[in-house]
Amino acid sequence: MMARWSFHSWKRLDWIMVTIVALLMAIGILFVFSADSRTGNPAVGPLYQKQLVWMAVGLVCFFVMALSDYHQWIRMAWWLYGAALVMLVLVFVPHVGVKIFGATRWIQVAGLWVFQPAELMKLAVVLVLARLFGWPGQSLRHGRIVLLGLALVLAPLVLIVKQPDLGTAIIFLPVLVAVMYAAGVPGRILVPLVTAGGLVVVLVLAVIVIPPKLGWNEARQERLIRMIGLNPYQRDRILVFVDSDRDPLGTGWNKAQSQIAIGSGRFWGKGYMQGTQNILGFLPRTVAPNDFIFSVIAEEKGFMGSMTVLMLFALMIHLGLRVAAVASDKIGRLLCVGIVTILFCHVFVNIAMTIGVLPITGIPLPLISYGGTFMIGTMTALGMMQSVYIWGDWR
Amino acid sequence: MIERKHKYRLIISAVIMVLALIGLSARLVFLHLGPYTERRVQINELRRLERDLNVARGKILDRNGNILALDLVQKEICADPVVVHSNHQAQAVALSLGNILQIDSATIMARLNSPASRFVYLIGYGRYVDDEQASEIIRMKFPGVFLNDVMVRSYPRGASMCHVLGYVNLEREGSAGIEQRWDRYLQGVTGLLISELDGQRRELYDRRTLEIKPRKGADVTLTIDQYVQYIVERALESAVSEHQAAAAWAIVECVRTGEILAMANWPGYDANQFRTTVPDVMRNRCVANLYEPGSTFKIAVVAAALNEQVVTSSQVFDCERGTWFYRGRPLRDYHPYDKLSVADVIKKSSNIGAAKIALLLGDAPFFRYLKAFGIGEMTGIELPGEEAGILHPVSKWQPISATRIAIGHEVAVTALQMLGVICAIANDGMLMKPYIVQRVTGSDGHVLFEQKPVVVSRPIRPETAAEMKRLLTRVTEEDGTGRRARVEGYTVGGKTGTAQKPIPGGYSDVLNMASFTGFIPAEDPQLAIIVVLDEPKNVRTGGAVAAPVFKEIAEQSVRYLDIPPAGNDNFASHASGVGSRGM
Repeated sequence: MMARWSFHSWKRLDWIMVTIVALLMAIGILFVFSADSRTGNPAVGPLYQKQLVWMAVGLVCFFVMALSDYHQWIRMAWWLYGAALVMLVLVFVPHVGVKIFGATRWIQVAGLWVFQPAELMKLAVVLVLARLFGWPGQSLRHGRIVLLGLALVLAPLVLIVKQPDLGTAIIFLPVLVAVMYAAGVPGRILVPLVTAGGLVVVLVLAVIVIPPKLGWNEARQERLIRMIGLNPYQRDRILVFVDSDRDPLGTGWNKAQSQIAIGSGRFWGKGYMQGTQNILGFLPRTVAPNDFIFSVIAEEKGFMGSMTVLMLFALMIHLGLRVAAVASDKIGRLLCVGIVTILFCHVFVNIAMTIGVLPITGIPLPLISYGGTFMIGTMTALGMMQSVYIWGDWR
Repeated sequence: MIERKHKYRLIISAVIMVLALIGLSARLVFLHLGPYTERRVQINELRRLERDLNVARGKILDRNGNILALDLVQKEICADPVVVHSNHQAQAVALSLGNILQIDSATIMARLNSPASRFVYLIGYGRYVDDEQASEIIRMKFPGVFLNDVMVRSYPRGASMCHVLGYVNLEREGSAGIEQRWDRYLQGVTGLLISELDGQRRELYDRRTLEIKPRKGADVTLTIDQYVQYIVERALESAVSEHQAAAAWAIVECVRTGEILAMANWPGYDANQFRTTVPDVMRNRCVANLYEPGSTFKIAVVAAALNEQVVTSSQVFDCERGTWFYRGRPLRDYHPYDKLSVADVIKKSSNIGAAKIALLLGDAPFFRYLKAFGIGEMTGIELPGEEAGILHPVSKWQPISATRIAIGHEVAVTALQMLGVICAIANDGMLMKPYIVQRVTGSDGHVLFEQKPVVVSRPIRPETAAEMKRLLTRVTEEDGTGRRARVEGYTVGGKTGTAQKPIPGGYSDVLNMASFTGFIPAEDPQLAIIVVLDEPKNVRTGGAVAAPVFKEIAEQSVRYLDIPPAGNDNFASHASGVGSRGM
């Protein structure tokens, strides 16, 4: 058994990765400051100050995770998963769950801190999948284990869709696929599974897109949408994505404004804190510091800014997969693959939505967007990845 | 060490992720460095603010500064049906608004039921809510329901003076009366604001590119006296209900200046609710309704003949015992008389006498005098819709025309023209231009327009005018046709008129116009008043129907205006009192 915790192992940290994380966090704090500079709500206090606190907490988590052995978390995987599932249910309990902007995604902890169980669930799912598929001697040739993995993912997914937070829920599926793929689940099982999943998505899209084209009335459309478990606003977002001219002042507003912001940034950008889309509130203040932070960067720092951020994330993903390659055991490898997939999904979906390639979903940009639970969750995950790196196989 | 198969799978995963990110950067390159003009237009359109700056219309005031018309800020309820429906509040909105405003919620529901539009008036365009209802609606906090402040024309005195004031239509254009004729002054100048908006659709003051300040409309001060108007309107209303007349109208004019003190019509309407009013009710009959004046017109022919000195007031005419055939056509008197002096022709209102005087005068001079009295021509009063009247040129007169025009047939006048004739007589032979707008004052206090008394013509000499006044005073003596017009303590001059209404093929035996026109006090005339009742039932003569209305108006007006009786029983020998008492 390896040591559970070693302070001396800090010398073996991946310092390039740590630098990238630091750079992204620095960019994040700068632009949260810029995006929030015009609100000045004295009751809340500037967001960047709170974000600095989250960052500090996140850094502590990062180093604690990095310097401790990830196997002890793998051993606790089932417990963590169970706890996260309970919290996801608690979200729906009145007085425990907190409703913000029409969605119940938060639970109140000791009446002080609102906490998003979905973030914890992301980590728990990665841990539990890594343990399930990476357990030494685990046979992957039977469908049973795949079905178990699917069940482990679908349970939280359904709960999160109900919150409703479609974007976060969707991310669980690629994580499952990536972990199974990396674990070596044979293609004859994986291919039909992915195909079936793809068909479901196509079907849902068809249900959303076709009725308006047929001229169904609103009530009938809405009944159908609710039958497949979606809310009308989620349907609207997808419709806006399909037909970008639909309702440019309503649901399409953020999408149009975000693209205008990015486009108006040109090559060098308008300058830090000079973005008019941002400053003048065309990017709504409620979303600019978190979901649409990338638009603020792209407007104020232009092509150079947005490409820098994109490159840093690409580098981070590359380093993450390299850690997976050098992991000392399968569990560590799958852990890295899962974490990298989560990071990649966040980066891809967030940027894709701000540039109008995907429908608007409330997916934040890791390390940059404002948000406490997400910052801590991301740093914890990155810390675990470092742990795999430190305890990796260097032969 | 990792198996080869697993390493291969990791590489595949990495390739997929990298390709996805390259895809994103391609889109970023396009957005950042691609064509941009279209987007720029889009941005500018969203940010541009171009708005007319509306200001209050000018007020309309009476001669003493009482407000007759003004702009008030009102609240209209609007909604964005898309927002209301997307919040599933349509039913709730309709129900609670119906409750608050005491209207049928189904109509609100119907208005909300246009999901494609982004703006509807919930209770209809041009309908407003009061402050209490407004605050209740705001408290409801329905998404997509909001209140707009709009300037609304308001007439604090309701139906009073409606025909003079007119109204402002929903496009805020004056559409009748003073509002229409003086629209250019009242309207003011709309300003223009070009600026930029922020994301919450609020204006960015430092990016304002153009601001043309609006100029408030000018105030129009009328010659009307609110209280005299009230006296007239009340008198008309009671007369109409007593005699069941179809319509009635009356004017009070200052003899010396031509200022209109009151101009009233029945039926009236509330200018605040002009939309529910039929056009006929809106007609200002005082200037827009032509009628055959009947006997009141005899004063014109007698004044002309006296002025031309073809007759004297004591000259006696044979009144043919009530029926006279001239050129084969009969002319009848209401009461048959044998012989009447010119003075008595007026006093007893003999048709035959008047006709004979007209013949003695001759067609051409008669026509010339009528023209000089302003018959057949617009007075030019500052109101829309004035009629010129009908007076055929002499060349078109038949041989008997003079005998018919002399008694007020074959000629059509407005009440204002008829009043002008008696005013000229009362004003020592000077015909004044009647006017209703005293002054227009710009919002900066500058006087933009001011009307001074204007002499239009001098149809008769002062001596003739004095003689006529004396003759007209006899009409209200105990045995005159106008005795019911007498005002206790004052001498009243005037003339009754009872004209059959022309119907196809001749004159009606039942329908007539009863009128009385006169002045007070006769010794030094200050006020001239005309009262016309259209189709009074039962009693139909001007002396019985219109003269009492004249009396009521005259009696209260002289008291209110402090006009002293110039009381002198020997007025007949007393020359006309020239000079006006300031009013």
